[in-house]
Amino acid sequence: MPQLLPNISAQLNSVTDGLSMFRPELCLGVLFLLVMACDLVYLNNRGRASRMLTCAGLLLVLVANWGEYIETDDNVLFLFNNNLILHHSNIVLKMLIDAAAFAIVLFYPWDDQLRKHGKGLGDAYTIITASVLGLHVMVMSATLLTIFLSIEMVSIASYLLVAYRTESGFSAEAGLKYVLFGMAASAVMLYGISLFYGLSGTLNLFDAGLITHLQQADSAMVMLAVILILAGIGFKLSVVPLHFWVPDVYQGAATPVTAYLSTLPKIAGFGLLVTFLTPFIADLSWEQVDFVTVLSVAGIITMIAGNFAAIWQQNVKRLLAYSGIGHTGFALMAVVTFSAQGIKALNFYLAVYAVANLGALMLASYFANTMKAENLDDYKGLGFKYPVASVCFVILLISLTGIPVSAGFNAKVIVFSAVYEVYQQGHNVMLLALLVTGAVTTVVSLFYYIKIPLYLFLKKQETEGREYPSYKKLLVMVVVLSAIVVLLGIFPDLLANLM
Amino acid sequence: MNILTLFIFIPALFGFLILALPDGLKQTFKYITLTATLIQLALGIYLYLNFKTGAEFAGINHEQQFQFVQKLPWISLNMGNAGRMQVDYFVGVDGISVLMLVMTAVVMVIAVLASWEIKQNLKGFFALFLMLDMAVAGVFCALDFFLFYLFYELMLLPLYFLIGMWGGVRREYAAIKFFLYTLFGSVFMLLIMVGLYLSVTDPGTGNHTFNLISMMNPANYTQGSVFSLASHQTLFGVPARVLGFVVIFIAFAIKVPVVPLHTWLPDAHVEAPTPVSIILAGVLLKVGGYGIIRICMGIFPEVAVSGAFWIGLLGVISIIYGALNALAQRDLKRLIAYSSVSHMGFVLLGLASLTAEGVSGAMMQMVSHGFLSSMLFFLVGIIYDRVHDRDIYNFRGLATTMPQYTTFVMIAFFASLGLPGFSAFVAEAFTLAGTFKSDLVPHWMAVCGSIGILLSAAYFLWTLQRMFFGKELLKGGDAWKQALTGLKIREKLALFPLAVLALALGVMPSLVFGKINDSVLALIEFTKHMVR
Repeated sequence: MPQLLPNISAQLNSVTDGLSMFRPELCLGVLFLLVMACDLVYLNNRGRASRMLTCAGLLLVLVANWGEYIETDDNVLFLFNNNLILHHSNIVLKMLIDAAAFAIVLFYPWDDQLRKHGKGLGDAYTIITASVLGLHVMVMSATLLTIFLSIEMVSIASYLLVAYRTESGFSAEAGLKYVLFGMAASAVMLYGISLFYGLSGTLNLFDAGLITHLQQADSAMVMLAVILILAGIGFKLSVVPLHFWVPDVYQGAATPVTAYLSTLPKIAGFGLLVTFLTPFIADLSWEQVDFVTVLSVAGIITMIAGNFAAIWQQNVKRLLAYSGIGHTGFALMAVVTFSAQGIKALNFYLAVYAVANLGALMLASYFANTMKAENLDDYKGLGFKYPVASVCFVILLISLTGIPVSAGFNAKVIVFSAVYEVYQQGHNVMLLALLVTGAVTTVVSLFYYIKIPLYLFLKKQETEGREYPSYKKLLVMVVVLSAIVVLLGIFPDLLANLM
Repeated sequence: MNILTLFIFIPALFGFLILALPDGLKQTFKYITLTATLIQLALGIYLYLNFKTGAEFAGINHEQQFQFVQKLPWISLNMGNAGRMQVDYFVGVDGISVLMLVMTAVVMVIAVLASWEIKQNLKGFFALFLMLDMAVAGVFCALDFFLFYLFYELMLLPLYFLIGMWGGVRREYAAIKFFLYTLFGSVFMLLIMVGLYLSVTDPGTGNHTFNLISMMNPANYTQGSVFSLASHQTLFGVPARVLGFVVIFIAFAIKVPVVPLHTWLPDAHVEAPTPVSIILAGVLLKVGGYGIIRICMGIFPEVAVSGAFWIGLLGVISIIYGALNALAQRDLKRLIAYSSVSHMGFVLLGLASLTAEGVSGAMMQMVSHGFLSSMLFFLVGIIYDRVHDRDIYNFRGLATTMPQYTTFVMIAFFASLGLPGFSAFVAEAFTLAGTFKSDLVPHWMAVCGSIGILLSAAYFLWTLQRMFFGKELLKGGDAWKQALTGLKIREKLALFPLAVLALALGVMPSLVFGKINDSVLALIEFTKHMVR
């Protein structure tokens, strides 16, 4: 203890210095408390007040992040004794997370299943706010400890959200599955972290001695430790073969929760993956684990498995779940480049995916609300009944497929060119294989995405289903998202230059 | 306002108008669409008349020789160390594209006239129709690969819905088959496009560029880049430039279509409603031919020369195989679809010869086939409209029932089978002459081409005999006889100009050759220069 005393002031200084760049997260912390209190005070209005507060708060956090974005510029900052890392790309991801969380909170009560929930939705907003804080820390983590803590924080929030509708057996089953698999994945990751710590002697990923220590250790052990940690992250990203929970959970959870799961943890997970890989890529002498090959193979398998499995799906949410797995594989392609351009491409791809995926899930919810339509078969002929929603669906699916004119196409082109650029320098065949797989799976994905327009417009309705009142606000939101998709399809530089 | 920009976006403007109008006005939609296409036609005629000829306006690989050019910076992405991603809105025409545009304008008007039969969901139909029109016009004008690709892909979605929603019994199958085939080709083209983009730099700005014309100049390729002519790189063990050519060629060959990539076409044509068949056969097949000239031969000329034999061979196979298939059809529409495969084979054969005669013949064939196939499909549409049947064996002696109709059919058939005096004769004669003259393709290919003409005479004349001559005998009996009324004014208005055009181009081929000649010569010269 006495020998630590002289360090205390320096450590405290580091903490107080870090606080100024920790504003968005501080805001989130305060917001979490406020939302919880608000939910207790306004018990009777079923979370309406909490929702408004959460939305306003998230916008504020977004603004705070924007401030950081401008302030940081191209610098890399370490906060709180090197526990957190902050730079341009991280902040972009944080802003993406805030914006997507904002849309999801808006979306929450527009889903019939959740709206009718007996407990009200106040708790859900509290949980989401807390999880956004976790996601922020996840993106900024620079040590294995913060990585694990933040992942757990996000996971626990996700478990609660999935199992929110306890009265539904399906939801409970999904929740239980998710908890069990999630716990196992965390345990595996924790084991990997402990091995990693033992081999490297440090928790800090950016410690100067990290690579040298690992290079001295047994390479099989290092490989094992790294693979176990990657498996933990891969579980969040739904990389094949760690994707098995995705279809059941996405289908079983309420649609806004699916929207949450398919965007936020995925975005943060990619941020985390990039941070974890950075020290190994930055050190040119590192050759124990060939990350290009490992991630390329994972990416190729994920693209193929996700897209092919989606072909046989009948449930719309399940179809979107498998397609989300395919998108993970595609985004991994951008990670494999390990170049600044690749990271930009990745961020843009994630942003575009988030917009289109949120929109598609909102529409799934819209049709479930109005026509109780959940399977492709129920969509027959609805295109003529709900032309606006159906046309938006087509636009969003086009973007997910990656056909012009849509944001998804531009994202695909940018990722392709990032990979090509790196290929031109190194001539790694893996990258070429990734490109070809990306192209082939695009055609495959068209095959199942186009099924939704096929049922909406090409098939005739056989029986008049019962109609329920539709949600105008939900439709407006979807139209806005579709407009963003088209706008970014014509002028991608509006967003891509910010990445 | 640039005239090409107007030409491209007039349909979009009218499309939005239709979307904005209430459903109560749905009877006016076809007139609105007709107005849009007529304006386009007027612009097309203006383009044709004001298009300057001469060696200094040849175009091809000289940016300043293109006419009616508009170039605006469009997308500029900061890509870190890779510089900026630069995409221009760059449109312009040379001899190769101007005639395609004029032909498109004519065919679109005819297609609208054929749309009178569409009865349900008019708003959707005409909005998609105009979107397709815009995309096609854009493809022929674009001189930036990114812009080209955007318009190229933009054709798919409206076509999918046009076939899928207003088509025949097996429309879902036909629509998805068409979509998957074309996307399969174009996704790989996208990879080559990105590769080319990263290989080429704009000499002016030093950025990577999608400019098609810059891609034609070997000096613009970065040293050591994948597609650089000098660096001889390989992809999967295949020379990169050969692979690039093959991939793009396959993408366009699917569109043309070239046997064995043609199987989507009979399905799509047969299931599509008449106006969509007209656009498919009249315009969209030419997008394939145009793409082969502008992109495959423009960017990879040395591969086009070394692969001329194989391209010619594919052309010959298409000619013969298409014609033999046409002979075997019972369905009139399917017969004409296969005749399209056969006729488009001549385009490939002419291009493979890489002689002035052959390429001119190929261009002429595209224009001629554009008019003639529109006419043929329109004629099939007329009879299908009236009795909802088009099986050849269900009709006999139509000449006595519908004399005027039979006249037009005879004109269309004789013109298509290459009777001297009609456009197809000129086209096929030039193609074969070019093939004979060329050192790149063997002479037997020209002989096979002639056999193809013979076969086309066989199936057209046999059909004429089976359906129109002889004693009147209809499967539907008197009910059909009542239904098979004479031609309406609208139908005559559509058919007459097409017949006149087919004749005019046959008598005065200079109407086409005069405009394209300089560009064709420049293309040949450019190819030779690149090989040397």
